[in-house]
Amino acid sequence: MTHPYDVAVLGAGPAGMAAATEAARRGAKVVLLEESPAPGGQVYRAAPPGFVVPPDADRRAGDALRAALAASGAELRLGHRVWGLGGGPLVRQGEAPVPFRIDALPPDGEPVTLEARALVLCAGTHERIIPFPGWTLPGVIGLAAATILLKAQGVLPGRRVVVAGAGPLLYAVAAKLLKAGSEVAAIADLATRGEWARAMPALLARPDLLARGLAWRAALATNGVPVLQAHAVIAAEGVGAVERVRVQPISGGAAESFDCDALCIGHGLVPATEATRVFRAAHRYARESGGWVPVLDADRRVSVPLLYVAGDGGGVRGAAAAPAAGRLAALAALRDLGVLDGRAHARARRRPALEQWRAAQAGQAMARMMALRPALVDAIAPETVVCRCEGVTRAEIETALDDGATEMNQLKQFTRCGMGPCQGRLCGEAAAELVARRVGGRERAGFATGRLPLRPVPMEAVLGEFDYADIPVPAPAPL
Amino acid sequence: MAFDVAIVGAGVMGCSTALHLARAGMRVALLDRGAICREASGVNAGTLTMQMTRAALIPYALRAHEMWLRMAEWCDGGHVLAVACPGLSVAFTEREAAMLEERAKARRAAGAPIELISGGQAMEIEPGLSDRVLLAGHCPIDGFTSAYLTGRAFRPALLNAGVALFENRAVWGVDREAGRFVLETETGPLQAKRIVLAGGVWLEEMAGWLGVRLPIKVLINQLVVTERIRPVMRTVLGVASGLLSLKQYANGTVLIGGGWQGIGDRQRGGLAVRAENFRGNVRLAAHTIPALRDARVVRAWLGLEAETADALPAIGPIPGVDNAWIIGSVHSGYTSGPYFGKLLAQAVAGEAPEMPLFPIDRLLAMEAA
Amino acid sequence: MDARAARTILSVVRASMRIAGVERPTEVAFSFAGQELRAPVGESLAAALIVAGVRRLGEGPGSPRAAFCMMGTCQQCLLRVDGRLAQACITPVRAGMVVTEA
Repeated sequence: MTHPYDVAVLGAGPAGMAAATEAARRGAKVVLLEESPAPGGQVYRAAPPGFVVPPDADRRAGDALRAALAASGAELRLGHRVWGLGGGPLVRQGEAPVPFRIDALPPDGEPVTLEARALVLCAGTHERIIPFPGWTLPGVIGLAAATILLKAQGVLPGRRVVVAGAGPLLYAVAAKLLKAGSEVAAIADLATRGEWARAMPALLARPDLLARGLAWRAALATNGVPVLQAHAVIAAEGVGAVERVRVQPISGGAAESFDCDALCIGHGLVPATEATRVFRAAHRYARESGGWVPVLDADRRVSVPLLYVAGDGGGVRGAAAAPAAGRLAALAALRDLGVLDGRAHARARRRPALEQWRAAQAGQAMARMMALRPALVDAIAPETVVCRCEGVTRAEIETALDDGATEMNQLKQFTRCGMGPCQGRLCGEAAAELVARRVGGRERAGFATGRLPLRPVPMEAVLGEFDYADIPVPAPAPL
Repeated sequence: MAFDVAIVGAGVMGCSTALHLARAGMRVALLDRGAICREASGVNAGTLTMQMTRAALIPYALRAHEMWLRMAEWCDGGHVLAVACPGLSVAFTEREAAMLEERAKARRAAGAPIELISGGQAMEIEPGLSDRVLLAGHCPIDGFTSAYLTGRAFRPALLNAGVALFENRAVWGVDREAGRFVLETETGPLQAKRIVLAGGVWLEEMAGWLGVRLPIKVLINQLVVTERIRPVMRTVLGVASGLLSLKQYANGTVLIGGGWQGIGDRQRGGLAVRAENFRGNVRLAAHTIPALRDARVVRAWLGLEAETADALPAIGPIPGVDNAWIIGSVHSGYTSGPYFGKLLAQAVAGEAPEMPLFPIDRLLAMEAA
Repeated sequence: MDARAARTILSVVRASMRIAGVERPTEVAFSFAGQELRAPVGESLAAALIVAGVRRLGEGPGSPRAAFCMMGTCQQCLLRVDGRLAQACITPVRAGMVVTEA
């Protein structure tokens, strides 16, 4: 194993790129690990190597962060899938903490293990999807998935598309679809006009984002796209793939049907807390920040020493707020490692702290719009599959709750909900809400204990080449 | 008002003891600081194998095997998807073959119908097996459960039998007043005429409540599961040393266990997988069933196992404290758990148990020495 | 039918699912379930299959499997690429790759 890094950053989205840049510029030995082949994250995602996509505002913002990163001296490990985390506080009782350990799978398939004294987690979010009849039909994809297809791959999710769910991504996706040549059959927005009106003052903090949102809306109006406020998708239907989507006002009333070959739907973003759960950090439930989030101080420190979280993984605030958060985390790490003294740290953090605060105002308003909407959970039909990996329906979850399951780990045991390869990332929100209804809230329902691997890992990668004699079989069990 | 008996710890042994005592007519309180069967009883590898059971426990494990397979009949329909299948314990080296012979002999003497067969014969029973096996112990009585279902399986039967089940109610200590036990709990005192300590790795602390010093070792066992894959095996597989347990469930997932150690302790529970042991365990598994190379690992976790100084169970009365009993700390305790609970219930109810218990006097004497 | 609607239908019929104006590397051949397909080298396999009209990627325990999150999270697009399990959404297209259901 090589000499430990001062700082390892996981995830090269805007928070991770900025964190690695800041730490490396100040002389720390930094490694940034990213699963994708290029840095960028979801919003600033780069096109695959060899693809040239016409630039937009996001591309330019991403390029600036990428350029700074490239010049910073941080070691960039792309295409690295991090599956194992350890070290830090995870030692035997009484032993001193050790460096953090990171197990990753590079593109060549030869596993690597790195060590770092401080660890900055920039894992971002995954998309919340509250199940409805037909959500498992091919052709139904996430809103975030649609942006990746459109912006990074340059591929249309469908030729005639219904866009549904909550948050600004709805309009971003719809506008992009139109521009790229798709027909947008309808937009079904869960938010009321009133909710959007109430969000306006906060959006004024970032006039650039506001202007862009208004431009999207104008494009939709010009093209005569039906924008249905306060509407929910009640079913996706079709034989073998989605062919039509049924939409209904959330207050009830007549449903409308829209023919389509794709449905792009998302019910908000959920902070990815797998890594902080693995380290047994303190978490709190913050609905308006997307769900369970690690408890953070103003400098992005987690309750575990030398562990930091930046970006939406610490609570949804949007890509614009992420770089400043990344810089704050990096500065805190350097302070805690003794690279920066108290005065230098206080001076250096002033600007990112202010920037983060400002961008977070707008981000928070959008996060609120994307927060979990309990009515969607109430509407899940008994026979609807909630956990796709294990084929667990709402009715099966309710029966397990009748049988005495009182929290998420127990629900998992009683039903296998969340035990499959996605490890509850897709079903976790809906399942947790169903538990919460019975036990009096998400805090009581808890969350599934963090487990490794963080993502399914091919056995081949763990095994490597070995002889039987190399296996360090422990002393035999007693006879 | 006092319960006839308070049982502290709702794992498989506490649940079985509670169920049998309630059916014998006692008013039973079953308390756990967490949810039913959420610790070792709910996260273990669900192995019902004789070839990993200590020789002295074989007669018990054989009876428990039968109980697991017929659980629905005695547990009001509750079950753990128990499957009966042959078991193989394999040796890859001459040294392991010698160990296997010795161990098979001892277990056979204790009543497990284990025969030694060649690698070739083993491959006829288990076509997925590596062709590098020199010798195998074959036991037609073997099988496995889905241990994660254990709490769900016991719960309705306990309630039907009238057990007062108090989940998420931690016990802090025990006083004795006027011939009764007063359990100090999170939500107030609870009185009982008798007490059964069934707290797994936390038995050491519990025994301390009654002034008894009983050291309990804590093992932090690692487990690994793959995602659903095509059928690659149809037996329960182990190795001569006992450091592998391997089975494929009906849903296609393959569970890899064997007691490789992770990081954790009694206070904080299982904390982290030890990377080198994770790799060692799965290498041993893939060496045994080569088709596992093709699978993906979905999850690894840790379960705490209790062990006494002589690695034999602690089941019986607590010396010097009338009406106090202890049950637990069994190597492969899940395998024999329901039967041990039944036996202790017989003793607590004043009957002669149908098989001998494992009183702790021997352990206390070792500790005093 | 008005002129605009007619134009729309015509453009929909003609247009590829690949957005115009994006410069892409050369197309290469690969196979999915025995069928020969073409896609620019480096495009994500999941995107390439969507373009080819392949939506259903397998059968899960309670529902069909298809690309859903496109970012490596949901595990719904698991396929076998050159004999090994791989998530289509994070697997770039390479010349000659042999893709089958998982």
